[in-house]
Amino acid sequence: MDTTNTQMKTVTYDDAIVRAFSTVTVLWGVVAFLLGVIIAAQLSFWQANFGVEWLSFGRLRPLHTNAAIFAFVGNGIFAGIYYSSQRLLKTRMANDMLSWAHFWGWQLIIVCAALSLPLGLTQGKEYAELIWPIDLLVVVVWVIFGANFFWTLAKRNEKNLYVSIWFYISCIVTIAVLYIVNNLALPTGLTHSYPIFGGVQDALVQWWYGHNAVAFFLTTPPLGLMYYFMVKAADRPVYSYRLSVVHFWSLVFLYIWAGPHHLLYTALPDWAQTLGMLFSVMLWAPSWGGMLNGLLTLRGAWDKLRTDPVIKFFVVAVTFYGMATFEGPLLSIKSVNALGHYTDWIIGHVHGGALGWNAFLTFGILYWLFPRLWGTKLYSTKMAELHFWIGTVGILLYVVSMWVSGVSQGLFWRALDAEGFLKYPDFIEGLSNSIPMYHTRLLGGVLFLGGSLLMVWNLIMTARSGKPVTVSVQVPAQRPAGDKENAWQLLTSAPMLFMIGLIVLAVWFGAAGSMLSPVLLALLIVLGVAMIISYGVHQKRWGHWYGLIERNALVFTLLALVAILIGGAVEIIPTVLASKDVPLQITEKMAAADPVLAEKAKWVQKPYSPLELAGRDIFVREGCYNCHSQMIRPFRHEVLRYGEYSRLEESLLDHPFQWGSKRTGPDLAREGGKYDNLWHYMHLNNPRSTSPASNMPTYKHFKRKTVNVPALERHLAVQKKLGVPYTDQDLALAGQRYASQAKLISDDLAAKSITVPANSEIIAVIAYLQRLGRGPQPLAPVPVAATPAPAVQAVPATTLPAATPAAVPAKTPATKTTPAGH
Amino acid sequence: MSENQNTRDNRAEYRQDTVMAHEYDGIREFDNRLPNWWMWIMWGSMIFALGYWLVFQTLHLKPESHEKFELAQQKALEAQLARAAAQGVDNNYMVMMSKTASKVAEGHDIFMKHCVACHLDKGQGLVGPNLTDGVWIHGCEPMLMLKTVTEGVPAKGMPSWQNQLGPTRVQAVVSYVMTLKNTNVPGKAPEGQPCQF
Repeated sequence: MDTTNTQMKTVTYDDAIVRAFSTVTVLWGVVAFLLGVIIAAQLSFWQANFGVEWLSFGRLRPLHTNAAIFAFVGNGIFAGIYYSSQRLLKTRMANDMLSWAHFWGWQLIIVCAALSLPLGLTQGKEYAELIWPIDLLVVVVWVIFGANFFWTLAKRNEKNLYVSIWFYISCIVTIAVLYIVNNLALPTGLTHSYPIFGGVQDALVQWWYGHNAVAFFLTTPPLGLMYYFMVKAADRPVYSYRLSVVHFWSLVFLYIWAGPHHLLYTALPDWAQTLGMLFSVMLWAPSWGGMLNGLLTLRGAWDKLRTDPVIKFFVVAVTFYGMATFEGPLLSIKSVNALGHYTDWIIGHVHGGALGWNAFLTFGILYWLFPRLWGTKLYSTKMAELHFWIGTVGILLYVVSMWVSGVSQGLFWRALDAEGFLKYPDFIEGLSNSIPMYHTRLLGGVLFLGGSLLMVWNLIMTARSGKPVTVSVQVPAQRPAGDKENAWQLLTSAPMLFMIGLIVLAVWFGAAGSMLSPVLLALLIVLGVAMIISYGVHQKRWGHWYGLIERNALVFTLLALVAILIGGAVEIIPTVLASKDVPLQITEKMAAADPVLAEKAKWVQKPYSPLELAGRDIFVREGCYNCHSQMIRPFRHEVLRYGEYSRLEESLLDHPFQWGSKRTGPDLAREGGKYDNLWHYMHLNNPRSTSPASNMPTYKHFKRKTVNVPALERHLAVQKKLGVPYTDQDLALAGQRYASQAKLISDDLAAKSITVPANSEIIAVIAYLQRLGRGPQPLAPVPVAATPAPAVQAVPATTLPAATPAAVPAKTPATKTTPAGH
Repeated sequence: MSENQNTRDNRAEYRQDTVMAHEYDGIREFDNRLPNWWMWIMWGSMIFALGYWLVFQTLHLKPESHEKFELAQQKALEAQLARAAAQGVDNNYMVMMSKTASKVAEGHDIFMKHCVACHLDKGQGLVGPNLTDGVWIHGCEPMLMLKTVTEGVPAKGMPSWQNQLGPTRVQAVVSYVMTLKNTNVPGKAPEGQPCQF
């Protein structure tokens, strides 16, 4: 410690902001858990939405995830960051107004989310559902938070940055990058927009964001909090500083690459899938580095586990972190993912992390903070103990039931009989088998919620028994002078050069052909060994160098930014460039010359008709993607159940993509033509009428509500701007075409004694579902054909001028398709 | 870089639980070595990743997911074929066989040894007729083709293959010839009647 400067000054910490954030954390936590219990109940008992459209699963599930991530964990992170940063930097937050703008801005965002999502105002991308005006607000508030934080760093009275601060920095810069790129969109109005990316690009960007929201919102900031609050509670030195260094940098560098593991076996190019899997496997050690540093720090403090509920929460949190970060790489291995993807296993995995790691860590922090913020003792240790045990049992019931349910679903879907055909052709059988597990999960959720209510009572009583405390400390009046090295010297020193060399070689190796790559691999290994030797020889100098980085906040932040940009750039840029120039512009001539292009051209998607686009907008609004995928994987059992596996070319025009991530219901990628209009009408109106065991909500309001056709023209115009090949004529004739296609369907229903207005939403949704996996459908009545096929199954008409002259593929599998069954 | 215990080396940086000089808000840090088993996981997973990339993405020694799918489809076809064989050889059986890649490949090998002299390598015909057009002399029903190859047509120079190849290999070669239909390789002029199977 630097004690050369004897001039001291007084620093008063701003704990009022911490009290505010801590309080709303408790409030939003209960809301998020309650929402979870409600939607869990809806999967057990479909009636649990009470027939109210605002409470249906597809709308509430996004609200639950957003509340859990951004409202509960978010506010908890902010409380912890404001409390610990001031103390670790020995200064008050730079600007109180910015702190409060951050606080109130964030609460405003949450209230907006809570109002807009149940209304069906959504962007249709998981964890990025908030509509564009709220997104703008998020960006503004995040910038306020970041400005305040970095200003505080600049004002600090501590020479070096402690490991917690590293994690906070990585969170602030990375979330900014992820959030902005993934939410780039063109508005069609005040509450609706289409993302600028489509199809495979949108999928890749979305999961780069989605996965790293987990990484840089739910993992790195809580790790930073662990390094402060758990170490404080244990009152032991951190186990290993160098482990902190190694696992921090490897974690932030590797995490960003792992997004494509959400897209294994989809139409995403194989190389990107492999990158996603391999970087996930490599994440195992860096993740466990954090767990180890946490658990090993407790050496000598394990006796506290018996008496201190705070330590109990922390130990279980870190253990669940270790479990979830082992399960993650496991699920990213392609063959394991083939079993687990789309099933409840993923739901179990997520909740192991969210309930076990995030919530328990937050609970521990709250129990530790409240007595200190209000200068008193915890109201009841016994009640906190009870919360701990109820919560733990709740998590275990949740996670284990989802494992059982998920693995059975995976096995059930893939089971083939001796003939090589589906053993369980009816999708609904698998769902029926899961219902007992859904009940168990509901019980687990109720216990978890119940435990949290105990905490609410306990914390209220704690706060009431004390008074808000103001803490002041004496710090040296002047920050100890830093070392003389400038940023450039730091960035051109041996450790940096080794790192740059290794990363360049590794990327080059990845892109190189079979001749060059063994050479590059050899060079990579040589350089790696040289680095290890250099570190061994110059260990002290490397340590000194890192100490300098650690005290230069700007250099540190830049390095963290570069570390997270590399992975995203390597994956996203080639995908954006590659799919821009491939399938949409294939001409007849090109196709004739190249059989590969001809095969691609066969699959290229045609734009939706106005009616189908209206149906798609409703599909997105209702959050159907929360339970239905539109992505058939290249497995025999999927092709038998759903039809030909999905090709990249088929969804290029989809803004947003709707590949989905979960199959509570069957895949819909080739739903078109499997059933007639009447079936869809009955099924949407009451799913039980066509599949008695279904737990799908009823969509009776589709009959009542009508589509705003003039507004739809604006939607088509925005899609055109985004590159969907609509012509000016398409836009001009939109209303007319809408009416003619809608009449066809309403006439067909009328012939079957169902009268429903042609401009009602149900007609649009049926048109969209009948279109899925097929080419453009007839817009005007087709002359009565000799065959008595339903009207919608008539020969595709060419009323929509298409981008390419390629024929509409007859997308029927070579082998016999068994209907999916509902 | 192997020992976690420090009994062997007493230098300060190797001693366990050395508290570092700095302190943040009362938090101190040790600078313990990273556990070896953890290092094994880290380096091991990196080496695995490099190797996996080399095998799957650079050298393509293993099939990609859609190729694996095609293989699985073929395996299913073979299994169906094996079961169908128990019910006797008929037209449907032969059609199924002509879609089974492994059988067709076997037939191709036989064709290139025994048939290529008269029908040429693509089946375009020399002494024997062109097999790649849409017309057939002795009936193109798969069972009739099987009969032609089994018994031969001595009057036209087509030998009988039943003894030399045996029934299984004759079926395989017929399944291959079935795949040649309508590939329309320029060669001997069409002879016979157009037909469908």
